[in-house]
Amino acid sequence: MPDTSTGVVVIGGGSTGAGVLRDLALRGIDAILVEKGDLASGTTGRSHGLLHSGGRYCVNDEQAAIECVEEGRILRRIARSTVEDTGGYFVSVTEEDREWEPRFVEGCRRTGITCERISLDEARRREPALSRQVRTVFWVPEDGHLDPFYLVVGNVESARRRGARVLTHTEVTGFLRDGDRVTGVRIKDSKTNEEGSIACQSVINATGAWSGLVARLLGVEVKVVPVKGTMVVLSRRLAHAAINRCHKPGDGDIVVPGLSVSILGTTSAKVPHPETLPIEWDEVRRMIEEGAMMLDGVTTARAMRAYAGVRPLYDLGAEAEGREMSRNFAVIDHQVRDGITGFTSIVGGKVTTFRLMAERVVDVAAGHLGVRTPCTTAEVPLNDREEPLDQLRHRPSLLGVPKPHGDEPPLQPLLCECELVRPQDVAPWFRDPAVRDLEDVRRRTRSGMGPCQAAICSYRLAARLVSDRGLDGASATRAMADFLETRWRGVRHVFWGSQLRNMQVTTGLHMELYNLDRELMKSPLPRPSRNLPRPLAGESQGGGDSAEPAEVAGKR
Amino acid sequence: MKTDVAVIGTGLSALAAARTIQQSGRQVVLVWPGLSSLYFLFATVDVLGYPTADATEPVADPGGAVARLIEREPTHPYARAGIDAVRAGTQLMLEWFKQAGLAWEGGLDRNFLLPTATGTPKPCCLAPASMTNGDLSRPEPIVLCGFTGYQDFAPELAASNLKRQWSAAEVSAVRVTAPGYGPDRLFTSVDLARSFEDATFRDAVAAQLRERLSGDTVRVGVPGVLGLTTPNKTFAAFQRAVGHPIFEIPTVPPSVIALRLFDRLRKHLQESGIEIIWSAPAHAAQVTDGRCRNILLKAAGHELPIEAAAYVVALEDWVDGAFRAGVHTVRDPFFHRPLAWNKVPTDRTAESLFSTQPFEQVGYALTERLQPADENGKAIAQNVFCAGGAIAGYDPSGTKSRGGMAIATGYRAAREALAA
Amino acid sequence: MITEEFEPATDTVEEEASVEACTKCTACNTVCPVARSTDIFRGPKALGPDMERFRSPQEAAVTPGLDLCSGCKLCEVTCPSQVSIQEYIRRAQNQGAREKGRSLRDWVLGRTRLLGKLGSMTAPLANFGNSNPLFRLLMERFVGIHRRRPLPKYQWLTFERWFKRHSHGNSLPRSRGRVRVGARRKVAYFYGCWVNYNDRRLGERAVAILERNGIEVIVPSQQCCGIPAVVNSNMDLARRYGQQNVRRLTPVAQEMDIVASSTSCGLMLKHDYGHLLDIPGSERLGAKTYDIMEYLWMLHEAGELDTDFQTVPMRLLYHAPCHLKSHGIGYPAMRLLRLIPGVNLEEVDEGCCGISGTFGVKVEKYDLSMKIGSRLFEAVKAAGSDYVLADCETCRMQVEHGAGAISAHPLEILARAYGHG
Repeated sequence: MPDTSTGVVVIGGGSTGAGVLRDLALRGIDAILVEKGDLASGTTGRSHGLLHSGGRYCVNDEQAAIECVEEGRILRRIARSTVEDTGGYFVSVTEEDREWEPRFVEGCRRTGITCERISLDEARRREPALSRQVRTVFWVPEDGHLDPFYLVVGNVESARRRGARVLTHTEVTGFLRDGDRVTGVRIKDSKTNEEGSIACQSVINATGAWSGLVARLLGVEVKVVPVKGTMVVLSRRLAHAAINRCHKPGDGDIVVPGLSVSILGTTSAKVPHPETLPIEWDEVRRMIEEGAMMLDGVTTARAMRAYAGVRPLYDLGAEAEGREMSRNFAVIDHQVRDGITGFTSIVGGKVTTFRLMAERVVDVAAGHLGVRTPCTTAEVPLNDREEPLDQLRHRPSLLGVPKPHGDEPPLQPLLCECELVRPQDVAPWFRDPAVRDLEDVRRRTRSGMGPCQAAICSYRLAARLVSDRGLDGASATRAMADFLETRWRGVRHVFWGSQLRNMQVTTGLHMELYNLDRELMKSPLPRPSRNLPRPLAGESQGGGDSAEPAEVAGKR
Repeated sequence: MKTDVAVIGTGLSALAAARTIQQSGRQVVLVWPGLSSLYFLFATVDVLGYPTADATEPVADPGGAVARLIEREPTHPYARAGIDAVRAGTQLMLEWFKQAGLAWEGGLDRNFLLPTATGTPKPCCLAPASMTNGDLSRPEPIVLCGFTGYQDFAPELAASNLKRQWSAAEVSAVRVTAPGYGPDRLFTSVDLARSFEDATFRDAVAAQLRERLSGDTVRVGVPGVLGLTTPNKTFAAFQRAVGHPIFEIPTVPPSVIALRLFDRLRKHLQESGIEIIWSAPAHAAQVTDGRCRNILLKAAGHELPIEAAAYVVALEDWVDGAFRAGVHTVRDPFFHRPLAWNKVPTDRTAESLFSTQPFEQVGYALTERLQPADENGKAIAQNVFCAGGAIAGYDPSGTKSRGGMAIATGYRAAREALAA
Repeated sequence: MITEEFEPATDTVEEEASVEACTKCTACNTVCPVARSTDIFRGPKALGPDMERFRSPQEAAVTPGLDLCSGCKLCEVTCPSQVSIQEYIRRAQNQGAREKGRSLRDWVLGRTRLLGKLGSMTAPLANFGNSNPLFRLLMERFVGIHRRRPLPKYQWLTFERWFKRHSHGNSLPRSRGRVRVGARRKVAYFYGCWVNYNDRRLGERAVAILERNGIEVIVPSQQCCGIPAVVNSNMDLARRYGQQNVRRLTPVAQEMDIVASSTSCGLMLKHDYGHLLDIPGSERLGAKTYDIMEYLWMLHEAGELDTDFQTVPMRLLYHAPCHLKSHGIGYPAMRLLRLIPGVNLEEVDEGCCGISGTFGVKVEKYDLSMKIGSRLFEAVKAAGSDYVLADCETCRMQVEHGAGAISAHPLEILARAYGHG
């Protein structure tokens, strides 16, 4: 790949990196984002999608709560298309929960979070699925759903419109230095194995749970501990709003409505590497049991898949110096701390406060570049062109019927029938060079994220790889198979009931109708690597899962 | 409700069993809780495509290969059914297809090698005549034809893959326009199939094709959309209009080709007086002294007991309710016995989607006579016989043998039911 | 001797008939009569399980095209996972109507009993109006009922009033709550609006046949079954009707079985009162409700049916109503009629007749309904027969209109076999 240069290299394509890229672009600073996987394929894409009201932190971490409140309001203003105002409930089930209640109420009051106690009758009228075990209910209207994919892609697209560039499936393998000054990065495309470099004046390390690994390439230490969290996805929304347990934050105490699904989460276990995320049955079982305490129907709902993600646990107290902006995230100015110019890290934090984190780190990095333009990301809306909102819940209304039955738009075919994705929703992404495989398409369009887990749309997507991207049959078929394999990895953990039955449709269709298994056996392409690092000595691979999307709830 | 034999099922195994009983002159009621979820797989009847799930070379002589498999694997569903059932069952079905007005071809002595929607050669034993011109053992060049805007058949994808695996002749891809179809119109296989029954539409498509074809011997592969209610006529007319041999390729569901088969066979059964009970799934078998007295169906409002001298249980597979998979325990829907238990759900699966899956091995253990057996090998019910996906070890996906296994087990179970 | 009865265990993790059981196999789309006849209907898979995940009680069910679902339930009958597809579509449609408001036509067509009362009270006038072209033009313009759709004729004498007289007449004297000498069993007859206001003779036949078999017929007080309200965007009204029926019929059901001669009425009582409308107490009622042909067949299997039939040398075609398939009882009418000497009975299986209750009556749906039924009409014409039999009254109307045939309820043939002209 040809070498190139820019002002700032942003490493990491999660919400923080995307926010940083956009902030830089709005300040007129030329930047390239380099992401080892796909946008939002790390922590952010595995977030359960809660737009925090702050209610979960208001007792133990007031500052975090206030940040959530403020950032939530900003996001609703500037990133309207990524937010669904579901509202949230905090419910008490046990005696312990009830003892927590006054602290919760007081915490909301202190941090300015709207919180209203409602009667059980009223609560059950609004949410018929609330379990019989629930005893007290608080309504917190500022909880919401923040779609992590739309958020990251939205930020990146906004930046790209202003000239920023993005390289996905590209790993930073090292740094270019001039003494103690960082002058660029060495990169490698993980799909093609091509190597190259990008010369730049500054590098921002926004890699979250990978921060330590990236910093190590520069010989600098950033102590981030990856903490795994497992989540279970149910194939429909049991409750309209988010349901939180009113207690000291613990495992499995939230059910988040995410567009067309419910996400039960989450657990907390340190792992040796951010990509070693084995899902244990015990975690899946616990998520379901905990969820069932708050919502009826959790144990009888169709479980669609389970996934695990990794949080970046950063010991803020351990930081001697560096600009500590909050108890929840930190900007590490390595010039100050390590004597290395042109390298700044942003660590910790959560998706909800990504914009603030980006602002802080860009302030530092831009300062070093001599750029004084203030941050405007809180004012400039994300969809600042006249693009129609693509909020999923509006999709049914787009699938209309021609006159005389209605004035609605005409009847268009669907590519992914489960998630109501039309061919025109998908087409632009096949033209985007940052989209490198079908998982990338999935993240941007939700194709394959419904109950059938790409059984039907896999072929339609593979077809486009050939017709729209000029791929040959072998590569397209391999991409189709890889896509199905990643879907499979998540389904295995909830292999019962109707999801089990549905997978038989998938295997039947692909193995018996398409004869895909023989196609793969005869493929000239090698079997893909599973994208897992080698296990460290003594570690087992557990359930053998690759890094699958997981949740970030600011859990410690 | 009383009858001689009750067949409970959803797919080809149930139809094969029902036909077998009908041919014997005894009364049969077909309890048909719905069309099988896997109906689309019966666009062809695959008897044995590969000798094992790992083999890459297709079987040339399915009849012989099945016989050899039976010797190798005495607990395989084919072995349970027996080679006689394989032969007689296949014969029965071929005759039935013909009688019912379906134009199908093939026999146990050879496999066709037909390209799939991904362009992969696949061995099939019995196939509709509308598909067999695609046999890759023939040397004529192939043009794969899709429709602009139709996402369920990608000739470019298929041609690229087929070219790599089949070198006997040239393969190319074209797309033509389907008149009247645009981005604002539903464009599924069923919509197209209906349109193809109209001569004007058909001729317009044929005219475009004729222009794109060069060479006298070239044959054209199209997705399976040549008519739904009058497929024989539609196929013949289209082939004439194009002036080249045509073959259909089954593709993304809904499967028109499979639907033709099921619709016609079901209607044919009805026309010959067999009663079909729709929409009443079986939920319990009442067994006394080792004999099944009746099976309870869940009809609207109340249960409908079906009382028969013998029963054939022929649900196609997991998808159709042959088993109920709880989180740990798998039970059957008739006797509610636990058939498998897993501490951890992942144990039911292999790491790769395309490997042999542990859960596919679950099923009833059987006696010699295909009765469901308990742990000691004793029949749970003397007069119940199992066919299809309910049998332990019924895993046709790696060897491509679903249709053959369905027919053989359906036939054998029915014959045992008649002898009960 | 030990009886081993295996209790049906609720082992599946998911709820029964839930939309979550859908495996996306698209089998439902292949049988939908509306989807196969028009380009503007997405089909049951899309409008049912696919879109259901995007619906919420808080948001309007904005999916257009829901009203194109005719309610035939063939999707449910075909679904290998037993998903109640049509119910989800119906609920969404109702929710939309609740939010957007109902039309005059919804109001009118949902109140069959009221229409019946008015129609029968003004019978000669009402019938004149319903066949007068000017009146029909106005009806089409202002109410939305297609002018070419033949509307049923009303009778001044309702079945209810007839039965009151009859039961004091000479056959089996009727007395409330007491089984008379000679009557082996009692049965309550759910006659339905059609028999009451439009086809009293069918009800007379039903009573005669039951009495011939030594059954005392009770006609309890009853309300419209509610299906017209369900399919005309008013499930609340249907629920009220259903609650009334449950209230009135539950004490009756404790003593005897209930039979219905209309397929759809029967299905409402058996199934939809519980499943769709969530009416408490409806399961007990449903468990005692039978389709009349189903009931007569059960009598036959118990050896209680009088099979002393006269010869009825007729060539008959049987069209199974779509809703009969949902009963899950097979086709008892065919079994019964084949017991009658002389009867030459064949099934004509060309799918839905197209009318689907009030669906085919509507101005914008009439053409579609005739297209759906066109295969059936052609087959009927080609076969030629004396009668085309169907248990459902709207099927009979449609077959007569579309195929120019004579259509009758299977009971008519049974009545002939018993010597009732």
